[in-house]
Amino acid sequence: MTDDAGSEPPSLDLTPRPARPAAGNRRGAIALLLLLVGGIIFVLLRTLGDASLFFYDVAEAVDLRSDLGDSRFRVVGTPQPGLLVTELDGASAVVFTLCADDVLADVVHLGDPAELFQAGVPVVLQGAWTAGRPPDMAGLPDAAGDGWYLRTDHMVVKHDNDYRSDGAELEPCGAGG
Amino acid sequence: MAGRDETPGTTGSRGSRLLGCVALASLGVLGVLAFVLTGPDVRIHPTTGEEFGQFDAVRMLYLHVPMAILMYASFLLCAVASVGVLVKRTPWWDVMAHSTAEVGTVLCGLVLVTGSIWGRPVWNTWWEWGDVRLMTTLVLFLLFAGYLALRGTTSDPRRQERQAAVVALVAVLDIPLVNRSVEWWENRTLHQRSTLEELKIEDLTLFTLMFGFLTFGLVVWWLTLQRFRVGWLERAAIDHAVGSAIAERRSETSAVELDAAIGVSDDPAGEESP
Repeated sequence: MTDDAGSEPPSLDLTPRPARPAAGNRRGAIALLLLLVGGIIFVLLRTLGDASLFFYDVAEAVDLRSDLGDSRFRVVGTPQPGLLVTELDGASAVVFTLCADDVLADVVHLGDPAELFQAGVPVVLQGAWTAGRPPDMAGLPDAAGDGWYLRTDHMVVKHDNDYRSDGAELEPCGAGG
Repeated sequence: MAGRDETPGTTGSRGSRLLGCVALASLGVLGVLAFVLTGPDVRIHPTTGEEFGQFDAVRMLYLHVPMAILMYASFLLCAVASVGVLVKRTPWWDVMAHSTAEVGTVLCGLVLVTGSIWGRPVWNTWWEWGDVRLMTTLVLFLLFAGYLALRGTTSDPRRQERQAAVVALVAVLDIPLVNRSVEWWENRTLHQRSTLEELKIEDLTLFTLMFGFLTFGLVVWWLTLQRFRVGWLERAAIDHAVGSAIAERRSETSAVELDAAIGVSDDPAGEESP
């Protein structure tokens, strides 16, 4: 290398220039990322909140009736034949008997039932125990009639995984299946 | 074949166009099979004697289930490519990881939408917060959407690649939860257990589902191929822009000044001068 002090080379600034501003895009991406992290936190909180709603089958719900009191919970079971449409407190309701492991519970479901709701196809209901006799209980062929009923307002159908034309491995429950 | 500095005018090739045509034709055949030739799910209840089942809503499953399986495949490929990013550190792996993540995220979104459309008539709800599979799938979607967003948060490509690879490897840990949730939390989910594992499907219904896997396999292959090529061209464009910027910078000063600045002389004697 030359090192001639008498003829100083012209100064040339070789320091890198700052990158061209893509800050707008980057800010948008960071905002989106924060939004997604917020979304994940929301989903987890919502799921945890929902998980606090206990999930029982009919037999467990009957066993735990005194502990459950008037608290809300989920209950899964199979509706027995004999579904009555009636009114309760001025609202339309469906009255039926739910069964799991041959344990029965009477149900008054407020509002419209699920489109595929029918006897013999399991459902998941949300509601609470209520003391008393459900309206029109005399019309239920397999009523539990134990002085309590489940007052529910949310119903989803739990279907099986069988798609064979003659496949219906639904376990019978109670006298009516 | 395009030269080093040439940019092809299309991401297609004869092979990929053929693949696209076959995938499109398969989608048409799948539509006919799913919505015309197969029957509704109607069975006779063994104890009540009444008709029950999912009726026409079952047709949505010929799209929903294959998309879900191919979504798993795309995200798993992304995980493999992400390992490649961390180990090999070559652009090929990063472009592959990015491409498969994008395709997988689109599929995941479609899985959520088709599942919701199917769930309304069958379950009586568009969405159920208490369902484990729904929740884990939504989290998977958000994780990979975050992966894609993360790729835009830094201008340093190497840092971006490594960060994205780590996020992808964490995100795929959700896949076993999504897939196995119906077995592990059987009594806390509305989703049914696996039909194929227990082979509770037959005849044209089974054929249509299998054809759905084949069709969406072709669609995903084509989409990934195209997205990979676009990603590769994006990289080439960035490299080209960097090259141009360097050339532009160099042209701002004369070659003589530059040589003088870095102390290079044409005069061989000059190199010997003290």
